[in-house]
Amino acid sequence: MEIADFTYHRPASLAQACEMLSQLGDGAHVLAGGTEALVDLKQHTFDTRHLVSLRDLEELRAIAVDERGLHVGSMVTHGGLVRSETIRKTYSALSEAAATLAAVQVRNRGTIGGNFCSAVPSADLPPICIAGSASVRLVGANGERTIPADDFLVGPRRTLRERDEVLAEIVIPPTTWAPGTGASYHKFGLRSASALAVAGAAAWVRLEKGEVRECRIVLGAVHPTPLPATVASAKMIGKAPSADLSRAVGKWAAEECSPIDDLRGSADYRRELVKVLAARALDDACGRAAEGRHE
Amino acid sequence: MSDLLHLVTIQVNGRPYSRGVKANSTLQNFLRIDCGLTGTKKGCELGVCGACTVLLDGEAVNSCMVLAVEVDGSEVLTIEGLRAPDGGLHPLQKAFVKHGAIQCGYCTPGVIVAAYKLIGENPDPTREEIQEALGGNLCRCTGYTKIIEAVQHWRDYEDVPLDTAGINPPDQDRPDLTIVGKDRTRYDAPSKAAGRAVYTADILLPGMVFGKILVSPIAHGIIKSIDISKAEALPGVLCVLTGETVTDTKFGVSPARYDEHVLAKDRVRYVGDEVAAVCAEDEETAERALGLIDVEYEALPAVFDPLEAYEEGAPLIHPEEERFARNVNTRVDWNFGEVDAGFASAALVKEMTFQGQRTYQAPIEPHCSLARVEHHGEKVTLWSSTQVPHYLHHMLSRTLDIPQGRIRVVKPAVGGGFGGKAETTKLDLLSILFAQKIGRPVQMKYSRREMFYHHRGRHAQHMWMKLGMAKDGKITAVQSRIFLDGGAYTSFGVVTAYYAGSMLPTLYHFPAYKYEGFRMYTNLPACGAFRGHGVPQPRFAFESLLDECAEELGLDPVDVRMVNAMDPNTRTINDLDILSCEFKATLEQAREKSGWDEKRKPGALPKGPRIARGIGVGSGGFVSGAGYPIYRSDFPHSNAVIRVHEDGTAVTLFIAAADIGQGCDTILPQIAAEELGIGYEDVWMAPCDSTLSPIDLGAYSSRVTLMGGNAVRSAAADIKARLAVFVGRQLGCDPHSLTFRGRKIFAGPDENTVASMDWTEAASKWFGANGPLVGTGCYQPPPGLGGKYKGGPIGTSPAYSFGTTVAEVEVDLETGKVKVVDVVDFHDSGTVINPTAFHGQVEGAVVMSMGETLMEKVIHQPDGSIRNPNLHEYLIPTIGDAPKIFSAAVESYEPRGPFGAKEIGEGATLPVLGAIANAIKDATGVRVTELPITPEKVLAGIKKLKTPPVV
Repeated sequence: MEIADFTYHRPASLAQACEMLSQLGDGAHVLAGGTEALVDLKQHTFDTRHLVSLRDLEELRAIAVDERGLHVGSMVTHGGLVRSETIRKTYSALSEAAATLAAVQVRNRGTIGGNFCSAVPSADLPPICIAGSASVRLVGANGERTIPADDFLVGPRRTLRERDEVLAEIVIPPTTWAPGTGASYHKFGLRSASALAVAGAAAWVRLEKGEVRECRIVLGAVHPTPLPATVASAKMIGKAPSADLSRAVGKWAAEECSPIDDLRGSADYRRELVKVLAARALDDACGRAAEGRHE
Repeated sequence: MSDLLHLVTIQVNGRPYSRGVKANSTLQNFLRIDCGLTGTKKGCELGVCGACTVLLDGEAVNSCMVLAVEVDGSEVLTIEGLRAPDGGLHPLQKAFVKHGAIQCGYCTPGVIVAAYKLIGENPDPTREEIQEALGGNLCRCTGYTKIIEAVQHWRDYEDVPLDTAGINPPDQDRPDLTIVGKDRTRYDAPSKAAGRAVYTADILLPGMVFGKILVSPIAHGIIKSIDISKAEALPGVLCVLTGETVTDTKFGVSPARYDEHVLAKDRVRYVGDEVAAVCAEDEETAERALGLIDVEYEALPAVFDPLEAYEEGAPLIHPEEERFARNVNTRVDWNFGEVDAGFASAALVKEMTFQGQRTYQAPIEPHCSLARVEHHGEKVTLWSSTQVPHYLHHMLSRTLDIPQGRIRVVKPAVGGGFGGKAETTKLDLLSILFAQKIGRPVQMKYSRREMFYHHRGRHAQHMWMKLGMAKDGKITAVQSRIFLDGGAYTSFGVVTAYYAGSMLPTLYHFPAYKYEGFRMYTNLPACGAFRGHGVPQPRFAFESLLDECAEELGLDPVDVRMVNAMDPNTRTINDLDILSCEFKATLEQAREKSGWDEKRKPGALPKGPRIARGIGVGSGGFVSGAGYPIYRSDFPHSNAVIRVHEDGTAVTLFIAAADIGQGCDTILPQIAAEELGIGYEDVWMAPCDSTLSPIDLGAYSSRVTLMGGNAVRSAAADIKARLAVFVGRQLGCDPHSLTFRGRKIFAGPDENTVASMDWTEAASKWFGANGPLVGTGCYQPPPGLGGKYKGGPIGTSPAYSFGTTVAEVEVDLETGKVKVVDVVDFHDSGTVINPTAFHGQVEGAVVMSMGETLMEKVIHQPDGSIRNPNLHEYLIPTIGDAPKIFSAAVESYEPRGPFGAKEIGEGATLPVLGAIANAIKDATGVRVTELPITPEKVLAGIKKLKTPPVV
């Protein structure tokens, strides 16, 4: 359980962080909240010779809304997501998803940026963000780029982040919480806290005149990356929300996923869970959209 | 670069600590080592258990998951910083003491800090809010019930001085008693609440060095060579040991089968078998040195399944001994009565197969040992997180060939054991060997991962059972055949195999009983003793089968238990003598309190849509101490000395019974005070130290209340007898007519009419006249317990407990998820010495057994390694999973117990598994026979039903 020696760096600016990462090369890792990084360090998962801490980068801790949407800095903790009035008033399902994560102590250190960059298939935040059309802004030594959150995650523990890049923020467009929309995340864990998702389902819908006009269902823990259930989502379009519809669409979602067997559950069981979780998430999302509220 | 120190300044509890730290130092180590604040505990080191919770800039965090260098300039509050304005305990800490929310105390600092954060924002939290705020704090002792109560009631203790009065009224009416049976707060609770209790890993000695163990990466093989030269050459390494350089003496638990070496000699038998050990200046160096030891193995075929291990031609795990042919470590073959005739006479004969799992004690404190050579080097002290100081002492002496008088064994505070600390570990042996070689104090401890490999957890049992039942529900015959997966070594396994059979007939009258047990060697970690030792799985199987039979015959499950229930003063079919037995009362009262009759009516509890409710019953019982010791000896099992302080205002109780959280350091002083006629507050507990106290066999087989209690009572009686002669002369009365009560000694039974003398005056005068006033006492179980057949001694006990649990569950019919909502438990524990301690044991047992029923299982990879050796993948219940629990004691008096007392700690686990399984059956119609009853298995069962429930 002892952490091997490494050199600790604490850049004072994002630019400096990128510069350091660029220069230090392969043995360098980013330290955000540390709830994943310290587990990896203690278990010697990676060869870590340098740790570049984002601690002093206050700019990464901001939560703000502008015309481009809701900006959530990558160093915002899960606890910060849960407590943020700004998020509760905009894309509250993100707070809801953050509240399902681990336990208080972990939520107070773990960050949204870490939840994305560690790219664990069961991560709770990416599905709800992707359902909400989130993009991620990456800042590197040679400039920055913004890409869809969905594209960012490419496999278990693999992302599009280049070595010199830092994930700066998650951006959710204002259309995601416009009137007539609603979202929800349902997770199934094997105990009430400190449990990874056996499966998770995020749903976002937009209703118009009592009919679903847009729908995005994104599944967690049933694919190497969060999985947009596009076929299932399309089945919602043009229909009036109902429990029966949600249940039928949940079955479609289960058809689309490609879960694995692991110690938390078999592939078959995960498909059963997806049916249920997707249906429940859709019910809640549609209910909220109809009532015109996001909490 | 690596030795570069970063200067950090952290405000801890309002005081700045400026220290140079290495980049890889955690805040946890900073607090414990650099600041000396050991109230912040190390439980899992991976951010799951919450024992290291502190407030960092006002937010609860796991200090093991934070680098010290990252929090330069921050403010930290640890348990040591919590206090009331008057400097005493904070009202929240007092609430934990008063409500019995503290048992082993190892999770306590983290729990209190997290709760302190909660009440700062929300002074009157609901149960659900508390469950949310404390979800990251694992507790293995309390079942969380009293933690929730304490947090809800903290304001009751604002500006209230802390005293020893407990808050739970007794269930039993005992007007003759003044201290026993009355609620008292735990002796050690205030220091645990304050973070001041010292556990082995908290002892930091000057010059201390650290040992680590290299283990086998393969499940079965021959060690061809070991090269330690590179490890020895690493700067900072002080000593490297291998099988070649340690004793050839084998050790273990059961004398008939000592089959372990300190380090593997030539063969490794499981992934985790200890091969070499390193002692170094610091843990980091020791760990690095392990990686520099080259071991060449010749891999052998391995076998992981006990049934496969029994097959002809299976790889032999102990080929050196012919008696272990076909990998059978222990074989039991019992036949009592006419089984065939019993089945022939039955209205229904039903056979079922059940499967239990390897489960793990998961005490929050990891094992730790600390050894120091003493005087001129001829003596050694070992501090160890043990629950059996004497057996440890005996085994150290025997294995290392040192007389017991040259070894001092000290048991500091222990953070839970549950059987996992009931044997001598390699840490104990190796730390002494290193200390002898190096001459410096040596600390060795297991990481959470290592605990899983060396845990000696529950045997997984494959159980076939057959039950014959008459039309009226009477049992006509029982037969069981059990294969126990024992792992690579014997450990407690001989006893486990016998217990798996011996405890079934104590609860119900069996006219005929046949039991075949096969305790098998496999190439997996050895299994040992775990709360309820060998019995929870067969009890789960039996209680499930009993319900199935009842259902087929159209009988009520409680009725079926009533018609078969054990009676007092009965010799069971396997020759166990039961004296007190109020089993029927537990059934009747559980039936009434739970609303059983109403809730079992069709339609009374909803069976959908989506959520189904069900109610189930299970019963169980256990020994109050094993009738015979683990190794053959003729000395008393419990021994106590009481020394009266010279001014007569206090006594010190010397007894080496091990408080590991279960509370004997509270129960035993209550017994001493009751017998002596003094106050509970007048008793000091001497440290558990072999140079101070005589032998006690320790905390296993639920023995301490009865055996330790009897020894203490007789030591107190010895003091009284000495005082009586003197006081009788002073008061001019017959010494036999004296009454000792309320710190006074009266000349007769009627305190209002007779002359009296103050206890303190009597004792101090006695000292003036005679010198030290010391009393001794001992306890030996009644001779000749048990039948004369092979294995007859196992299962014997002076007394047996009985209990009934009714569980109510909610099942999500779409996911299969089970939530245990309410639990009602009635127990016959004889006289309850301390109501809060009693309820605390029941609540802890309920939640622990719920874990075994619903979620716990050690999972092995195909190569024999463990897939989930940590607390985030091996799931134990969190506070949000805990049901509401009602616990009560029925009226009972055990003639062999001190003041009529019997056990509660292990017996309380036994009814729970069956009760929950039966409740799930009631809710869904699904009978799951394989533990744990996961949502996946329940859902699969629901899908197979002929008439599925409405979803």
